[in-house]
Amino acid sequence: MSTGNPSYTNPKPCKHLADYKLRHGLTGYRSLQKLFKTTPNGRTSVEKPNTTMPRCNSCNGFQGRLYFCLICSTVSCSDHTLLHNQSENGHDVAVDMERAELYCCVCCDQVYDPDFDKAVMSKHIMGIPRDKNGDESIGERLVKRRRLGSGVVEEELVDLSKSKQLVSMRDRRAKSCYPLGLRGLTNLGSTCFMNSVLQALLHAPPFRNYFLSDGHNRETCRKRSVDRLCLPCDIDAIFSAVFSGDRAPYSPAQFLYSWWQYSANLANYEQQDAHEFFISVLDGIHEKESKLSNRNRDNGDCLCIAHKVFSGQLRSDVTCMTCGFTSTTDEPCVDISLDLDTNNFSPKNIANKPIKSNENSSISTLLGCLDLFTRQEKLGSDQKLHCRNCQEMRDSVKQMSIKRLPLVLCLHIKRFEHSPVRRMSRKIDRHLHFPFSLDMTPYLSSSIVRNRFGNRIFAFEGDESDISTEFEIFAVVTHSGTLESGHYVTYLRLSDQWYKCDDAWITEVDEGLVRASQCYVMFYVQKMLYHKANEDLSCLPISPRRDTFLPIAGCC
Amino acid sequence: MRKSVNRPPTPDAGENQEKEPSVREIVNIKLIESGEKERLMELLRERLIECGWKDEMKALCRAFVKKKGRNNVTVDDLIHVITPKGRASIPDSIKAELLQRIRTFLVSAAL
Repeated sequence: MSTGNPSYTNPKPCKHLADYKLRHGLTGYRSLQKLFKTTPNGRTSVEKPNTTMPRCNSCNGFQGRLYFCLICSTVSCSDHTLLHNQSENGHDVAVDMERAELYCCVCCDQVYDPDFDKAVMSKHIMGIPRDKNGDESIGERLVKRRRLGSGVVEEELVDLSKSKQLVSMRDRRAKSCYPLGLRGLTNLGSTCFMNSVLQALLHAPPFRNYFLSDGHNRETCRKRSVDRLCLPCDIDAIFSAVFSGDRAPYSPAQFLYSWWQYSANLANYEQQDAHEFFISVLDGIHEKESKLSNRNRDNGDCLCIAHKVFSGQLRSDVTCMTCGFTSTTDEPCVDISLDLDTNNFSPKNIANKPIKSNENSSISTLLGCLDLFTRQEKLGSDQKLHCRNCQEMRDSVKQMSIKRLPLVLCLHIKRFEHSPVRRMSRKIDRHLHFPFSLDMTPYLSSSIVRNRFGNRIFAFEGDESDISTEFEIFAVVTHSGTLESGHYVTYLRLSDQWYKCDDAWITEVDEGLVRASQCYVMFYVQKMLYHKANEDLSCLPISPRRDTFLPIAGCC
Repeated sequence: MRKSVNRPPTPDAGENQEKEPSVREIVNIKLIESGEKERLMELLRERLIECGWKDEMKALCRAFVKKKGRNNVTVDDLIHVITPKGRASIPDSIKAELLQRIRTFLVSAAL
């Protein structure tokens, strides 16, 4: 089965539409294009020239739906489409004028034709003046969707079932033996913000693999670089220590010292923000690695491990509400910061089943937050933007979407509200429901742009993404307490078993506990990488000492 | 339809219209010509989405399709079944707002 949304595959045409296509091909659609009228909101309608108000040819009615015959351009209201069809042989297919959608008069039903939708969308895209990044215009290239090699996926799944058996056998023999790479980190003085993020990084599959396979060699680095400060070296040291098999809690003191030197303004024993720390670590890695490789690429194409793993691209579309001109900007990102969705916004779950917004639904969901992030946001009249087409300041609508997904998706929930007006900061404790498996398809630029124009069967540029959209969670950084005195704990998911990493203490926990926790930063990895990582874990040799793991408090 | 007492009888449907247009038609034409109709439609769409009406209609449609079977339903069926329910469940506040807008428009158009 091809990846991608099956609802956009072509439905079968009815007999009458098929007949029409055979006889007339695309000529009818093409001549209709001249009559299409597009609105800035993405709606298309059919307008008869020289008539303000179309009327039914049989009854002169102008109310309700009006249908425009594709063959003779006669307009009929919904009561008289059959009449027209009976009086003229072969005039079966018409177009709903208000919506620019195909209708079969014999079947009395809406019908679909990708060629028709293409004709509609071409007019739309032509109608929107191009912006400077000509190539990046929405849907400019009409590309057919490519099927990803489904054969490969199936093979891997078969192998997984075999390796799963091996793992379960191992578990029975040494039940309390934790997987490799689980090691507590001692708190060096309000450093739980650091420990929590480190635990997540230690188990981000592509990140972990890079360091464990000597991606950053400390010897080589010491020789090449004059600057002794190297965050990747210190991270490599942590990886070596944590995956050594030694289970006693480890003190990442060297790393903390290096990080203090790197981000001098955050160098103190105060509690820091875990998300801020995460960003600064990625920055530190990028800086060092780009110095070494002497390449000054912008973040988007950077080959440093931090960007290779975490970097994606966000798309921002700003549409002028007067003329419909859309300006598109792409910006790289290493994470997505989400506002919590509150009652005012009606959330939908992944099957797009509506949850009644009339009910007092006090459940915030991650999908709701993502919906909120990608919604069309009307910018206030005090936020007018300059429209290149109108050459004036205009009311605009902004919409975010994800142009390219990273290997590891980091989602940050904005729980800390800072109000510069009141000089106060507060924490939002609202519980957020988050899934363990996440399909990012509805938030991709191709999906968002497609929805903006109504449900047209149309392949947009970006559909042929090589990266799959299915993700599995592997780490959750949670926060408890207040803004001033709080505590970070990370939950790790290894081979579908959850572990709580609370500084030096690591314990096996039930998934219920994780769901009930207050998530702050969530780490999702592409599904295939998650399963591969589990496979790798089960194949790694158990530490030679075969220590049964006991939660031991390290010295703090 | 209101008829003036002195008006000649309405000609058969099918003949080209030469009679006096109804108030409804005039208002409609004026709304379309000025572009106000499009603005009102957008406003209406926005309000109906905000209050959850659109989601309710979607749910009704889904329930209907589920009951009849996906291959036994046409768009016409849906329109005939859902339209009365839809019209009946529009919140009064939205009706009032739209009516107010139309009234304001008519006043300004008459000037």
